[in-house]
Amino acid sequence: MTGLGYLVCLVLGIGCMLLIDWRFRLFFWRAPGAAALVTAAGVTFLLLWDAAGIAAGVFLRGTADIASGIVLAPELPLEEPLFLVFLVLCTMVIHTGTVRLLSTRRRRSQP
Amino acid sequence: MTYALLSTGFLFVAVLLGVLMARRSGQPGVSWPATAVTLVVLVVLTAVFDSIMIGLELFSYAPEHISGLVIGLAPVEDFAYPVAIAVALPALWALLTRRNAVPMGELVRQATAASRPISWINTAFPFAAAMVLTTREVNWVLVVGALYYLIPYNLAMYGINDVFDYESDVNNPRKGSIEGALLPRRFHRPLLWLVLATNLPFLVVLLLAGGPASWVAITVSTFAVVAYSAPGLRLKERPVWDSITSSTHFVSPAVVGFTLAGGTVEPGVVLVLGSFFLWGMAAHAFGAVQDIVPDRQAGIGSIATALGARGTVRLSLALWALAGLLVLAAPWPAPLAAVVPVPYLINCASSLRVTDTTAASTNRAWRRFIYLNYFAGFLVTLIMIDFWIRMS
Repeated sequence: MTGLGYLVCLVLGIGCMLLIDWRFRLFFWRAPGAAALVTAAGVTFLLLWDAAGIAAGVFLRGTADIASGIVLAPELPLEEPLFLVFLVLCTMVIHTGTVRLLSTRRRRSQP
Repeated sequence: MTYALLSTGFLFVAVLLGVLMARRSGQPGVSWPATAVTLVVLVVLTAVFDSIMIGLELFSYAPEHISGLVIGLAPVEDFAYPVAIAVALPALWALLTRRNAVPMGELVRQATAASRPISWINTAFPFAAAMVLTTREVNWVLVVGALYYLIPYNLAMYGINDVFDYESDVNNPRKGSIEGALLPRRFHRPLLWLVLATNLPFLVVLLLAGGPASWVAITVSTFAVVAYSAPGLRLKERPVWDSITSSTHFVSPAVVGFTLAGGTVEPGVVLVLGSFFLWGMAAHAFGAVQDIVPDRQAGIGSIATALGARGTVRLSLALWALAGLLVLAAPWPAPLAAVVPVPYLINCASSLRVTDTTAASTNRAWRRFIYLNYFAGFLVTLIMIDFWIRMS
């Protein structure tokens, strides 16, 4: 059995992160070039980590019904790079959002 | 314990890079409180969502390679991922968005243009073809290596070239600013950093994936990329070495692919790669003829300034002919590739009467040459497919 459930969840997740980014101008909507480089660097680093794990025989692709079953390389499903993009976006939205919150609080507490 | 070791290694690299980048990030710098918040939030999210994903059987772990310690359903080793990116990515972001940094969007555009996207395939294809024809399977090393020889390798080769050609052009008033204008000076250092950042991780992985033979091949390949234009060596200005290095740029990815695949050195392989090498030398030498006049004016050496226009054209013809003869001696179907140099010979022969003063006129033949490459690539691919079918 294969399905698109996981893929759809990831695309929606990425979409939600980008919506928050757009609304508060945090990451791509603040410095698109830098954001693209951070995303590319993050995803590449994590993919190499995955690759090392797969090569070492640690990671095995699952048999979930909600996975598309499409593989990009041995044991590497189509969904994995998208998951890593989501993870990087999530990290940077949380980080830049926290920086924003902390600085507004500091500004408010000043007389 | 394999996974614990692996995760510790990657986590160490990420934290080390994070600290180094944070120290160079200037103003406004990394917000450590925000980094701490990010870390905590990500770890909690990982505990929840990793458990859900494992519960849904999206992926699993080889039991003999994990410690067995879990949080929820997630192995503790998994938590190295969120910790690594929570530390490293904000540091990278701070570095790239510091106040006096060059605009990154512009850097990405400059870097993409510098990497010559039209030529990406010229290095990725030899690597992938050599590897896949040897292993006869698509594995991880192939994917990582093909990606490396597609983009980062070309960024290194042409990026380093553009940076250091600028220096030599600026010091040389006669060459003017036409070529110097290619890559503005303020992008030089960021571009060299980008070259290092995009090449090093791939090279480390490829070195780890191979043995002594591929270490030698990767070292030679990387040396050729740097030494072609880096100051001090500048092999591109040393006659004959320029053609040898230039050919190495395109043949070495194939040798790396072959050695990573663990191929055994047979006469046929040596003949085919040797033929490819001679083809590359001929191509470089012929291309240098059109620049004889400006190069001599600028005092820059090349194989063509040393041998003269007609001598270089003759040498190119000889090298192409020899390339064809070499594959004739290789096992079937490689001899079919002997027809590949024929159009090059005809094209180049049209320049046989060239003199040093009319050298620039070979530019017309050179432009035809670029189209011939596509035709040659098509023929070679057909022969490779034939080879593949015969082997299976």
